[in-house]
Amino acid sequence: MTHLRAIVAEDEPILSYALVQALQRLWPELQICGVVDNGVAAVREALSQGPDILFFDIKMPGKSGLEAAEELAEDWPDDAPFPLIVFVTAYDQFALQAFEHAAVDYVLKPINDARLSKTIERLKLRLASTQERNDELETVIGKLRALAPAAALGSEKLTLIRAASGNQIRLIPIEEVVYFEATDKYVNVITAECQALIRTSLKELLPQLDHAQFWQIHRSTIVNSRQIQVAIRDELGKLTVKLRDRTETLQVSRVFAHLFKQM
Amino acid sequence: MNPSDTIDTREVSATPQRHGKVKALLRRFLIDYAMVVPINTVCAIFVTYVLHFHASLWGNWVFSMCIGTTAMLLMDGARLALWGEDKPPLPALIGNIVLGAPIAYFLGSLIAIELLGLPTQQVLSNQIDHATGMLIFVTTVCLFVSWLLWNRTELSLLRAQAEAEKAKSAAVERQAMQAQLQLLQAQIEPHMLFNTLANLQGLIAIDPPRAQHMLDQLIHYMRASLSSARADKTTLAHEFDLMRAYLELMSVRMGARLTYALQLPPELDRVTVPPMLLQPLLENAIKHGLESKIEGGHIDVTATRQENKLRLTVTDTGLGLEATNHAHYGKHGTHVGLANVRERLLALYGEQAEFKLHPNAPAGAIAELILPLSP
Repeated sequence: MTHLRAIVAEDEPILSYALVQALQRLWPELQICGVVDNGVAAVREALSQGPDILFFDIKMPGKSGLEAAEELAEDWPDDAPFPLIVFVTAYDQFALQAFEHAAVDYVLKPINDARLSKTIERLKLRLASTQERNDELETVIGKLRALAPAAALGSEKLTLIRAASGNQIRLIPIEEVVYFEATDKYVNVITAECQALIRTSLKELLPQLDHAQFWQIHRSTIVNSRQIQVAIRDELGKLTVKLRDRTETLQVSRVFAHLFKQM
Repeated sequence: MNPSDTIDTREVSATPQRHGKVKALLRRFLIDYAMVVPINTVCAIFVTYVLHFHASLWGNWVFSMCIGTTAMLLMDGARLALWGEDKPPLPALIGNIVLGAPIAYFLGSLIAIELLGLPTQQVLSNQIDHATGMLIFVTTVCLFVSWLLWNRTELSLLRAQAEAEKAKSAAVERQAMQAQLQLLQAQIEPHMLFNTLANLQGLIAIDPPRAQHMLDQLIHYMRASLSSARADKTTLAHEFDLMRAYLELMSVRMGARLTYALQLPPELDRVTVPPMLLQPLLENAIKHGLESKIEGGHIDVTATRQENKLRLTVTDTGLGLEATNHAHYGKHGTHVGLANVRERLLALYGEQAEFKLHPNAPAGAIAELILPLSP
């Protein structure tokens, strides 16, 4: 068996150095193949190196550790086993609760050798049973997302979307929206007849939508569930959604595949 | 001790104040008089049609108006002059009426006779003939009107009392809230504390002298923020000290990603400010502006004097205000922190202080505080 490889993502240089040192001391066989200091680089490095384990700090510039993990779960190639993720955090009540709930590995800063050793033991065990890994991760990421504080905070629900379309402002009743699609800085609102842009992010939009009606099915897509005609699973297991009022189909990422499980 | 107490009120001299008071009393008198006119009219109708006093309604109305006005001038005037807006003692009030009513009756009659051009001798003797009945009538009406006015005075007095009570409890509430906000802002975030300790732990192994330095900064920072949480006032020098320790800690943690400069002119060293007003703005700039920016950035903290105002700024080259709205997996929204600063300023200075947040060019944000300079 080749060496086990890990990536460490931590924005504070001393902490990053200390974690790498501790890992080398406690788990000499583990090869640290990449050390990065932000979430964007973490995703990039993980995709290009395909390591077995990821140590992700939660609060990082660019992308949080959780966001980076979500993105990886969506973009990870099908033919490689998904890496095991260990989150590293100093103090984060919400995150800790979420981790406990979803049985995700985490290490607290300052790092304690005994605690890290325990985590290492668990990682070794889980690495032995490669088969379970993929399924497990998807559900874990799904659970984490559901537990994220933003989703928990019930804010005022939108009933009307005010969107720019050329030099006009269009008022779109929320039930007419077929789906929302994130672009670079905007969100594209798509109805049966037209498209318009709103200056917000999906993340900000999500808590303002009725979750029974609007489902996030991809990192960059929220769909009106009443507009879903059928969900199709292809031979590779990829899910796509056909819509009633639009001809295009939408991708469902595996993080959200659970939404389409049979009753 | 509330710093707003330092606002100078000596400019307001006694003259305009008394002037204002006379004006208020005059207004009060006019309002009272407006109530008397319809009562006079009712009296004229009563005298003409019920008592069949041998004169036209018009003549009786003029008499009634003159007597009523005189009574009003005498009695309400005396009341306002003697007791102002306060509630007069009841016996004095009744004495005032019993004495005033006959004077008003004869004086008012004389004025009416003069106005209508009636033969003085004849009408006056007629008035004297009916004096007993009319005096009882006039006194009764005066008592009734006084009772009305007296009741109203009492009502407005009660209302003023309730308002004063309300204002007082609001002030107390404000003060309590201000104290709580201050305490809240002086709290060291657990996340910050554990991250700093983790850095210390790492440094002890690799660079003991730097670890020692960091520990010193941490002790300094904790001590300063603990004392700030309890103090009512602090000096700018102390606040800048606290911010320097904090920035030093953060720069060890963030490494090359954070550079900073603090500028406090020596003549402002001893200026007193409320504690923990600037610190949250600094923490905000780090947390939302720089920590979440991949390449990090620079922070400038300055204090300058502008005539009789103190201008404090925290300038960063971070992600800027727009990006800050996308809450970055955080639970402490920026808005909460900034709302706290606004609340505190309002509680401490009222409209005298300003807090502004604007974009910095080419990147980042400027937080600006303008406070009245206390002597």
